[in-house]
Amino acid sequence: MLIAFEGIDGSGKSSQARLLRDWLSMRGDAYLTEWNSSEWIHEVIKEAKKKNALTPLTFSLIHATDFADRYERFIHPMISSGFHVVSDRYVYTAYARDTVRGVDLKWVKELYSFAVRPTITFFIRVTPQVALARLKAGRKTVKPAEAGADVFPGLDPEEGFLKYQGLLLEVYDRLATEEGFVVLDGERTPREVQIEIRRRVGELLSG
Amino acid sequence: MSYLVGKIVAVEGVEGSGRTLHAEGIRTYLEEQGYGVITFGLGMSKLLGEAIARKKRDVVFQRRTLFLAYVTDLADQVENLVKPAVESGFVALADGYVLTLMAWGLTRGLERNWMEGVLRALPRPELTLALIAPPEEIMKRIIRKKGVLDPLSSGVDLCVNGDLYQGFRQYLERYLNNMRSLASDKGGVTVDTGRDFKVVQEEINSLVGGDLGEA
Repeated sequence: MLIAFEGIDGSGKSSQARLLRDWLSMRGDAYLTEWNSSEWIHEVIKEAKKKNALTPLTFSLIHATDFADRYERFIHPMISSGFHVVSDRYVYTAYARDTVRGVDLKWVKELYSFAVRPTITFFIRVTPQVALARLKAGRKTVKPAEAGADVFPGLDPEEGFLKYQGLLLEVYDRLATEEGFVVLDGERTPREVQIEIRRRVGELLSG
Repeated sequence: MSYLVGKIVAVEGVEGSGRTLHAEGIRTYLEEQGYGVITFGLGMSKLLGEAIARKKRDVVFQRRTLFLAYVTDLADQVENLVKPAVESGFVALADGYVLTLMAWGLTRGLERNWMEGVLRALPRPELTLALIAPPEEIMKRIIRKKGVLDPLSSGVDLCVNGDLYQGFRQYLERYLNNMRSLASDKGGVTVDTGRDFKVVQEEINSLVGGDLGEA
């Protein structure tokens, strides 16, 4: 089974994904994979972002390369072997981030067409205002990537965050219908959200 | 040749086809005629060129990853080097471009439609030269240049078909068949460990005990 988590930065999806992986580990083989975490491509992306060296096209392609590396190394062999794979962000993150940068959605979908469709995709929905408040409560500063610094270079981090994450949320809302996401209200307590996730996954496991 | 001003000329071909040498020749020829030329090509980007060279051996069986890494590598050069150069009237000479990459992918079973779709993002060359030569000649050139036939560029990965999972599965099927027939030829006992550990261990114990008993 492949379970994907999507949502804007600060939505709490990474914590939810980890909690679900722990729960699934007690029921079988489970694996968690995170966006932008290929052993070798990740370093290149980090350097390139620091130097502001990516254009919308190379931003899109290099993240697809990172994804393909994790897909070919981990996701595909594990799913084929019967693991439960929990993916903290999946291809829909690329759909959202690339189109916000002006790349054609049809082309991005083609680029990722090799990837298997998740069994279920949870979209943890919060507004950018709530996400920002949470980030600030946690660690006080907004990272340039979260503020879409390459898209809105002129804005201060908090303004950039609200604007960039707002645009991403618009794309997610469209995708939610098109792709059949399970939309979860992320403004509830983490425990309430996790209970609903486990109930949904539990149904799939027994069905 | 003025039709090439502000355009891309692609020199395509496998390693040993004479790509780099002929690209250099074209560059000299065009420059002698007074044209400005820039050279780019597969594996030459600032963004990924060095990383690909370093990691290629580790990801040799991940065809899609390597394909996308090369597309990213070309796109980086197209956006940062080729576009500004052709806009100011240079000829952009590619030492390995989309056909070299597609032939590589097709030979390894990547879907043609998918590759064409992804590569739509790169500009089409005005002129494409696809270099071919007899295999014996290509291999002789590689030995002359490198001293050996590098298993990586000789397509050693082709003996494994499909993706990692299918490739490993096929390998295991062949290995297990060989093990089964060797065991039966040489008088070994085959034990299926695909069952519950305890059941298997009991069976093994009784086999061991049986042999000891007879001795």
